[in-house]
Amino acid sequence: MSRFLFPRWSNAFLPLVIILGAIAPLYVGLFVAYGFSPKTLEAGYMPTQPVPYSHAVHAGKLGMDCRYCHTSVEKASFAAVPATQTCMNCHTQIHRESPKLEKVRSSYETGMPIEWVKVHKLADYAYFNHSAHVVRGVGCVECHGRVDQMTVVYRVAPLSMGWCLECHRNPTDRIRPPSMVTQMAWDQNKEMTEAQRVELQNLNNIHPNSNCSTCHR
Amino acid sequence: MPRIFIFVGLILLLCLLLPPAIIARVRSTPNSNLPIHIIQDMAFQSKYKTQAVNPMFADGNTMRPPVINAVARGETYLDAHLYDGVIDGQWANVLPSQVKMDFATLRRGQERFDIYCSVCHGISGGGNGIVNQRAMELVANTNGPVNGTVWVQAKNLVHDELVTVQPMGQLFNTITYGIRNMAGYGSQIPTEDRWAIAAYVKALQRSQNAQPSDVPAGTKVADNIGSTPNTISISNAANNVTPTPMNVSVSNPATSMSEGKL
Repeated sequence: MSRFLFPRWSNAFLPLVIILGAIAPLYVGLFVAYGFSPKTLEAGYMPTQPVPYSHAVHAGKLGMDCRYCHTSVEKASFAAVPATQTCMNCHTQIHRESPKLEKVRSSYETGMPIEWVKVHKLADYAYFNHSAHVVRGVGCVECHGRVDQMTVVYRVAPLSMGWCLECHRNPTDRIRPPSMVTQMAWDQNKEMTEAQRVELQNLNNIHPNSNCSTCHR
Repeated sequence: MPRIFIFVGLILLLCLLLPPAIIARVRSTPNSNLPIHIIQDMAFQSKYKTQAVNPMFADGNTMRPPVINAVARGETYLDAHLYDGVIDGQWANVLPSQVKMDFATLRRGQERFDIYCSVCHGISGGGNGIVNQRAMELVANTNGPVNGTVWVQAKNLVHDELVTVQPMGQLFNTITYGIRNMAGYGSQIPTEDRWAIAAYVKALQRSQNAQPSDVPAGTKVADNIGSTPNTISISNAANNVTPTPMNVSVSNPATSMSEGKL
């Protein structure tokens, strides 16, 4: 039995292995940073809702104010999903026999809530307060995107801590006059100059905190 | 080197491009898969938050309605003026003492009117808000009303005599409990805001029926303005605009900033 000898061309493997070995950590590093980032894993969540409610129709085409339904947003930490009663303000008359509204009608009759699926879910250790932001002029669109153009709502922002801090550290470009918070098509970076935004920030005393205990308690 | 090694090597290299491509696709397309939470820590705690589902109750609600016949502190609703708009069995024509009649209240009323009322009654109160228009469109459909839609033209709050003669308290009562086809807004709008809206509707009626004689002496008015206010059609352009806040100047934001830091 003759001994196995590596052929001469196998020498080329050595530099190849070295090169690959040098690139591999870089590749894995980029893969983790890109693939495991909240922008990949958390953003873009678009659950199917029990009722095919379209924000594009109600907030976009009809131009209803966000607060018509989400009434608690200026007072409470939670922007409440409206009661079925709110739907039925209009839908006792408009589209009152639509099959799409079957669950709304049965909820209205039985008193059992419609089980809407939560889209913007934060980790339970993070305490976000809607009223604190909305009253000071952080527009709905800053975090929720153009909901008035979404037929099915999905999560635009990663809602990660790093993403929150981006704004908490530099809020100037993301605040608007509080009277404009629900105007989704309005963009403070187009309508206001840098100097005006700085002035607005000082006027409304907006100095967001980035202490841990601001959001984690 | 045998060809096969080179081929396999190249294919493996190409395969390395697949993961980034898949990630790029996931990042660019919304989908219904639950978000993946890699480091869980205490992200999902066994506690119930606002409006969460709770299997312990028959209706599945975490938030419980008050026990029947229980009265919460401050919720006796005995003040007929404040909660029903009635003084001694008559419609009140003044705001209750809890709400001040000032410019801030009217501004608040305007803002709330634009949110909750203008959808049907229109920004200027003329009765042709966007929902009213849409409903009329659905009713007028050539193949019959769409999905059984029925609709009665929303009231013209500023020119219809049935409304313009109503005292503020009656307007407040209607906003609170609804009337005919209109649902009550008592659960959606806080009491003080409903009073502000009632006051604002009064102001709207006044402004929409203004006469040249209302202009302070010495101010020049163009001849064609305001001479025949009652002929303004309900579909006039002012009713068709979507709410556009007027105040975008930074020097006068319509809110209070007294609560300190964000």
